[in-house]
Amino acid sequence: MSSVSDGPILEMANVSFNYPGGGPIVAGLSCSVREREIIGLLGANGSGKSTILKIAAGMLRPSQGEVILWNKALKSYRNRDRAKLLCYFPQQLDVNVPFTVREIVGMGLYPYEIPPVMTVDDAMDMVGVGDKADAFVTNLSGGERRRVFLAMTLIQGAGILLLDEPLANLDIKYQIEFLKLLRSLKEARGLSVVMALHDINLALQFEKVMLIKSGEVHGIGAPEVVLTSATIRDAFDVEVEVRKAEYGAYITHEKWF
Amino acid sequence: MRPVRMIIFIGVVVGIVLLALFAGPRMVNPFSLTTMDREILYSIRMPRVVVAMLMGMALGASGAILQGVLRNPLADPYILGISSGASLCAALGLLSGFYYFGSMSVPLTAFIGAALVSMLVGAFGWKRGGLWPERLLLAGIGLNFLFSAVLMLLMSVSSDEGLRRAVLWMFGDLSMADWSLIPTAAIFIVIGMGLVLSRSRALNAMILGDEFAHSLGFAVQRERLILFGAMALMTSASVSLGGTIGFIGLLMPHIVRFLLGADSRLLVPASAVAGGAFLCFADLVGRSLMPPMELPSGTVTAVFGAPYFLYLLRRKDVLSI
Repeated sequence: MSSVSDGPILEMANVSFNYPGGGPIVAGLSCSVREREIIGLLGANGSGKSTILKIAAGMLRPSQGEVILWNKALKSYRNRDRAKLLCYFPQQLDVNVPFTVREIVGMGLYPYEIPPVMTVDDAMDMVGVGDKADAFVTNLSGGERRRVFLAMTLIQGAGILLLDEPLANLDIKYQIEFLKLLRSLKEARGLSVVMALHDINLALQFEKVMLIKSGEVHGIGAPEVVLTSATIRDAFDVEVEVRKAEYGAYITHEKWF
Repeated sequence: MRPVRMIIFIGVVVGIVLLALFAGPRMVNPFSLTTMDREILYSIRMPRVVVAMLMGMALGASGAILQGVLRNPLADPYILGISSGASLCAALGLLSGFYYFGSMSVPLTAFIGAALVSMLVGAFGWKRGGLWPERLLLAGIGLNFLFSAVLMLLMSVSSDEGLRRAVLWMFGDLSMADWSLIPTAAIFIVIGMGLVLSRSRALNAMILGDEFAHSLGFAVQRERLILFGAMALMTSASVSLGGTIGFIGLLMPHIVRFLLGADSRLLVPASAVAGGAFLCFADLVGRSLMPPMELPSGTVTAVFGAPYFLYLLRRKDVLSI
């Protein structure tokens, strides 16, 4: 996996999805992820962000189209092999069983017979839960719990992470630290990330964003191109102004409330 | 891992089993066995201890599986209607004159009932190519009410003495234990246990939720089906051995989680062993308290189990809800 590839490593080709008897949630969506790419996935509530991530993770089968992972149809992979390449992080983290932090993080090694290089302790330290190794996850705060699951995701060692709102419940410090961590893993291990998020100001700092409206790609590319006052009005039905700043840009509104 | 607790745990289990063999209304001295003692040990106590161990193991493990698969700390094999279905089937068998297998008739019909209800619950819990926890749980609760009501109805209109005895037996009674029942049930329980132990990583992952389990490389629906099948096999075998014993399936996983941790790789076998020991203990109490009368083990497990469960409920590290 050390060789840098220029082509897409994960691709959705003309993918549509609807539940039986329901209308389309994703309609003819095509997009791709390259190695060392961190993509912010934006869209209004119900625009289909989570569904897109679940289809890309192989959790939902598209009603039309195909998901391609490393030039092979995703559905042709054995579950365990897929888990070594592709990892999904859900929005909801509800655990009502008192596992310890160490136990949860260790589950990230389940796809492997021979554990990869990173140890459970390394992974816990990376997200700052090393001092809570033997605590019960059920006794942790929402943010701490999220970091524990992030550590599990990191130790799983997949090259592509599909994260559904991983920054929810994290305070500003851990939001920034987590994004820094992803960036450093991108440099060190060639990690690719697709991350659903709601904070447009944060998204404006990404290298690449994808804006979703009604299950279709409304724009993809550099944030200053994709996220303009006009596109944000279109996708979110809200009036904001995007202003240039010393570093990147930020959105503002005459008066918020 | 908590080595000291582990050693205490094993010590207590071994102690209870030895006590169940040698203690009781008649004390047996293992170091100077008379012919009478040997006879009691071999024909009465040993089959009872083996039956209690097997039943308790099946129920303890089933509880641990179901609490994980249904992601619900209140789940146990009987909440799904398996016990009432088994009782109803046994009662119907007796009423219709099903005696073709002699003393094996009631266990056999009970087993069939338990297996049928498991399949029925599975069928109701099935949607879009898979089993869904909430559907399973609600279907089980609904069926449980239905079967209990029909059983009550049968009991209130029937004057059949055999039926009343059978219903009593279904409340959990090990006094009929003998060697003849053991081999068949043991095979089912061993198969079920083997299936679960080979699936305990998947069970751990499923406790985190279907999405994490999928992401960690497990075929969620297939794993859930296998685990549910293993649970149904073990519970049915357990019911056929000595009726329905409450509380073990609910209680043992909680106690073991508290003592030894929540990792299913240890939780399932330890809940099984704890369940076996607990039922041996309940049986010992049931037959020793006021001989020659025997109290049904099912009531003893509840009398001892419920208060301890309520005590555990007060502790934050046992349940987080």
